[in-house]
Amino acid sequence: MPPAAIEPPFGLLLTIGLLVLFYGGTFLMSVRIGHKKENADSYMTAGHGVGFGVSAASMTATWIWASSMYASVTSGYTYGISGPIHYGLWGALMILFIYPFGRRIRKVAPHAHTLAEVMYARHGRSSQLMLAGSNVVGSVISLMSNFIAGGALIAMLSPFSFVQGVVVIAVGVLLYTLWSGFRASVLTDFAQVVAMLGAVVVIVPALFLLLGGPSLFTEGAQNLTPEQGTFFSGDAFLNQGAPYIAAVLAYAIGNQTIAQRLFAVREDLIRPTFITATIGYGATIIGIGMIGVLALYAGLEPVGGDTNNLLPQIAAGYLPGVLLAVFFVMVIGSLSSTADSDLSALSSITMADIYGQGVRSRGRRADPRTMLLVGRLTMLAATAVAVVFASLQLNILDLLVFVGALWGALVFPVIASFYWGRVTNRAFTVSVLAALAVFLPVRFGAVPATGPLPLLVEVLAVLGVGVVLGLMVFGFLGTRPAVVVGALAALASAPFVLGFLRDYEALTGSLVAYAVSTVVCWAMSVRHRDDFDFASIRRRTGDFTDDADAPAERPLTAARGAR
Amino acid sequence: MSPLALTVYVLVWPLLVAGTLAVICTAFGKEAAEARREGHDLI
Repeated sequence: MPPAAIEPPFGLLLTIGLLVLFYGGTFLMSVRIGHKKENADSYMTAGHGVGFGVSAASMTATWIWASSMYASVTSGYTYGISGPIHYGLWGALMILFIYPFGRRIRKVAPHAHTLAEVMYARHGRSSQLMLAGSNVVGSVISLMSNFIAGGALIAMLSPFSFVQGVVVIAVGVLLYTLWSGFRASVLTDFAQVVAMLGAVVVIVPALFLLLGGPSLFTEGAQNLTPEQGTFFSGDAFLNQGAPYIAAVLAYAIGNQTIAQRLFAVREDLIRPTFITATIGYGATIIGIGMIGVLALYAGLEPVGGDTNNLLPQIAAGYLPGVLLAVFFVMVIGSLSSTADSDLSALSSITMADIYGQGVRSRGRRADPRTMLLVGRLTMLAATAVAVVFASLQLNILDLLVFVGALWGALVFPVIASFYWGRVTNRAFTVSVLAALAVFLPVRFGAVPATGPLPLLVEVLAVLGVGVVLGLMVFGFLGTRPAVVVGALAALASAPFVLGFLRDYEALTGSLVAYAVSTVVCWAMSVRHRDDFDFASIRRRTGDFTDDADAPAERPLTAARGAR
Repeated sequence: MSPLALTVYVLVWPLLVAGTLAVICTAFGKEAAEARREGHDLI
């Protein structure tokens, strides 16, 4: 996302003042909860007893990242009035759909720190490595993406250069996250969510009025194509909505930043937390996307033809000084909240999955001080790597596609591993690798356009539709309704997929990954006789320390009165 | 869609955001007060 060529509206002092206000404030918040001697488990999960207000704020802030704001505006501008819905609604619903799985995972492993750690207890090393490896790559990419968004925003609105912006954002995030880790991340998420959501409440109506108010919809109607002017745009669904449904389910299941909050929130508050985050994320992102719709009606053209420039361009062009500062804080808040979550996720993986499991497998106890050191060094190293990659503006699209596919391939084996005792480590590993092997040629157009192969791929995509919808139903209603809905969805989609979907490689690739991993995992597990004892996971994933200073998980009966 | 319907469609989202923000802030305030009263960290 290169900085656009517009006159920077902020001076040097104002930019420094806003950054000091934001990062200074979050740093002071983290200092208030900082302990001279931090507890290693709390550094990863905040003691498994975080309340509703903090956890709902944290889940919302983490799910909203700067890229989602830019992408929703782009979707509104590209696909018209249904565009923001096809970006924000599906992303929001995925938070809702994964919460039953979250409750199951938490019940099976109440004191775990990472999903990969649970997979190690359930299956063994290869499953753990797949999850941990994909999370490391995914979090570094996310970190880099947020630094790029911050650098581009600072370069566009202030006299600072892009690289200076990247470094300032990286140092600012590291400043408040390094010492207290996840505890600082979730606490500052509250301030960041107040900044982000508060800004949306003010900025969207303000831009609506500044761009012309209700008369804009009559005067600018000719700027929309018939497809952009309808709520039922097939173009928007096939190019934006459907691929996003498939991708975001994988992201929600596979990403450690979400799992980390799942292991942190008090167990009885998982449902209200996820429901609040669903509404908060959906309304915020769809609301921001409305700016793209307004830009379309107003006939605005993005600077340099890049729709990523639309949001800052409209803000700089139409918002008065104070509101532009609010906008600046909103974007900095969104990217910082996700970046600190990525740092916390990365540190947890190295602390729990590399150091912690390594020590435990040798029959020794983890040293809390060494564990904390590992976590903090990981944050420093990850920030350095992300700054270098962001400064070089490396093209990471292919890597991102690969990680997304890996998460898509992991969805069924991960979920099945928490409910079905017959799933083995071999079934898990082989199914994920097989799904990746089929995904890659499909996604990158290596399947011949003629012959039976394209049809076979589309048959798999039909199965993938059934798997995605079946999994969504399974979490709430169980196996039988899930199978019925999955079968009906596959049958209903077949006439629209067969002979047609081959032109949509991103969507086809995702669906094929779901289908192959499901079929292979099921086929390799169904005849397996042993039934796994899920109670054993609880015993193998306990806390690493027994520090008396650690905040204990409060009893549910006492805690319920808090709400 | 009529301009009125489109206006409602655009402005309903900030309203929902305001409601969510109120819920989060209220809960956070209660938790912070409770933590202060009981003498333990909020996080």
